[in-house]
Amino acid sequence: MKTWEEMEKVQPLASRIITNSIQKDRISHAYLIQGARGTGKREIAQLLAKGLFCEQKTGIEPCNACNMCKRIDSRNHPDVHWIEPEGQSIKIEQVRRLQKEFTYSGLESDQKVYIIQSAELLTLNAANRILKFLEEPNKKTTAIMLTENSQAIIATIRSRCQVIDLQPLSPTLFYEILVESGVSEGNAVFMRALTNDLNEATRLLSDDWFAEARKLVVQLVEMFAINPDDVYLFIHRHWLAHFKDREQHEQGLDLLLLAFRDVLYFHIGNEAAIVCFQAGDERLERLAMHFSQEQLAIILQQLLQAKRSIKQNVHPTLVMEQLTLQIQR
Amino acid sequence: MRFIIQRDQLLASVQDVSKAISSRTAIPILTGMKIEASPNGITLTGSDSDISIESFIPQESDGNVYVEEIKPGSIVLQARYFSEIVRKLPEQTVEIEADANLKVIIRSGKAEFNLNGQSAEEYPQLPKLQTDDSFTMPIDLLKGMIKQTVFAVSAMETRPILTGVSVTLQGGSLHFTATDSHRLASRTIPVEASNVEFANVVIPGKSLNELYKTLDDSEETVEISVTNNQVLFQTKHLNFLSRLLDGNYPETSRLIPEQSKTVIQAKTKDLIHTIDRASLLAKEERNNVVRLTTLDNNQLEITSNSPEIGRVSEEVSVQSLDGEELKISFSAKYMLDALKAMEVEDVKINFTGAMRPFIIQPVNDDQILQLILPVRTY
Repeated sequence: MKTWEEMEKVQPLASRIITNSIQKDRISHAYLIQGARGTGKREIAQLLAKGLFCEQKTGIEPCNACNMCKRIDSRNHPDVHWIEPEGQSIKIEQVRRLQKEFTYSGLESDQKVYIIQSAELLTLNAANRILKFLEEPNKKTTAIMLTENSQAIIATIRSRCQVIDLQPLSPTLFYEILVESGVSEGNAVFMRALTNDLNEATRLLSDDWFAEARKLVVQLVEMFAINPDDVYLFIHRHWLAHFKDREQHEQGLDLLLLAFRDVLYFHIGNEAAIVCFQAGDERLERLAMHFSQEQLAIILQQLLQAKRSIKQNVHPTLVMEQLTLQIQR
Repeated sequence: MRFIIQRDQLLASVQDVSKAISSRTAIPILTGMKIEASPNGITLTGSDSDISIESFIPQESDGNVYVEEIKPGSIVLQARYFSEIVRKLPEQTVEIEADANLKVIIRSGKAEFNLNGQSAEEYPQLPKLQTDDSFTMPIDLLKGMIKQTVFAVSAMETRPILTGVSVTLQGGSLHFTATDSHRLASRTIPVEASNVEFANVVIPGKSLNELYKTLDDSEETVEISVTNNQVLFQTKHLNFLSRLLDGNYPETSRLIPEQSKTVIQAKTKDLIHTIDRASLLAKEERNNVVRLTTLDNNQLEITSNSPEIGRVSEEVSVQSLDGEELKISFSAKYMLDALKAMEVEDVKINFTGAMRPFIIQPVNDDQILQLILPVRTY
């Protein structure tokens, strides 16, 4: 998505809002772009920045070939500043550095752009510090904040930005894109439930770790039904050995969630929506015999709770132990 | 790009340019050093985005050939490795060659390094110099001006504009002002008539300190030009660029009192020593306060009192003491900074009351001015 024209296909409303303001030369001093993963937040930010700096624009489209555009892509443009979370959050030190930068004149031009990725991860102090120059922007400064959840951003920042909501990618569109790029239909169905980022999907599919993870998830779900006494052992011997950092654990829980959802779908006859198993898989039948609908609903809730716990830095081993005990009950 | 260069020349330039490069930078390309070969010579560039240093090695100078077989082109190399490599090369000549795939070969004697470069297009573009908007001044004078003002810039980021030195050029006189809102240092010098004028140019104190260290005493003049975003100091082989601070510098001329009620003339050295001794007992966290009291017969008393530690008082005789009696307290640190920066034998201090700022100037020279705000004590 390197032009507004391409962007318009994916995000018609958002790109119309922005292109209109570019045409009328009324670019806001601060944007808050909200959208799920893979919806094109970063691309929009880049397009906006290029629109401001590109020297050979045709209409509103940046050329993507000039020195300016190339350097914005490679993040080497001295007047476009990217702020990304260092570790778990965006720290006040990063904001202080940015603020210092803004007391200087531009290096090449008289305008500046700063782009804050995952703005929901700003610590409260950092966010309050940012407020200061959101409130009194220097001349010709454009702030672009990207977030997956604008509600997690403090209201005082939100109210000072033009909020642009990106619509989630339509699953069917994503499915078509996946199939087009050579992913098998079964895998495409599965990946579209898990993500809506093409790059991530292809990366996961070619990843051995992920293939093994899928196998483990199915094994674990079956084990709950067939051999519940050994589940605890399985968790310690295989699961925790395979899923190591927080991100991997979250992914594992996502996969479990999908698997249990499939069983529930099988119960209510919504077989078209099944993603982890093949429709008509006899394993599915066996699982459905073992878990009732009520049980499944409770399990799904517990999985969501486990995901929250992981996000809140609870030790993964404890989370998984608690989860298995609760599911066995 | 390809050229063969004398190692000593290259090393000197690399060392100059490295001063501007920092390993912690927001923009990845700035960890690199840009090498540009043109038929006239080789230009090296380093930058941490606040300051940029360009060094030029001419193809030949005074009959000495420094660079041979130049094929024009440019490349960016990791500064850390490049400067280490150049320092440790075995032979007197170095061959540097870059191909279209950004692969760089550095050869010297039998040693050969293959490095991965980055495209020079990615490097920030420094403003083109316009020599008609520039003026020239002696290096030692510029360094003097920097030394006499830059210590007074604010160290706090709360008012960023005060971390810089305000530079104006108007009516043939060049004026430096620095203040942290408790003291002010300024210096004016006439510059050779030129048709350049500018105001509200604020150069970061950090950049000036760096410039002070970079400027070579062996060279004579420096050419200064100001563009929209940057200021350029140019010597024979070195270009030093600094970004400017954004914003309006406060109006300072009205702060300087015009009349005075008490005037003291004294030997700078005597004052420095006396105040230095008194400040031994003045406490850092209470602004290093010392008190000055006028006595009869051209005598001053300098005292300092910290109840927990003790008390010091010393009488010092001055050359002249005119006007009203006075008791005033001020920061010993600021006073010492100001007196030391002056670098003259005799100073004149004009007071306008215990609660008003006072100014320190050399006798018979009003181009240097140091202003200090007193401290209120009870």
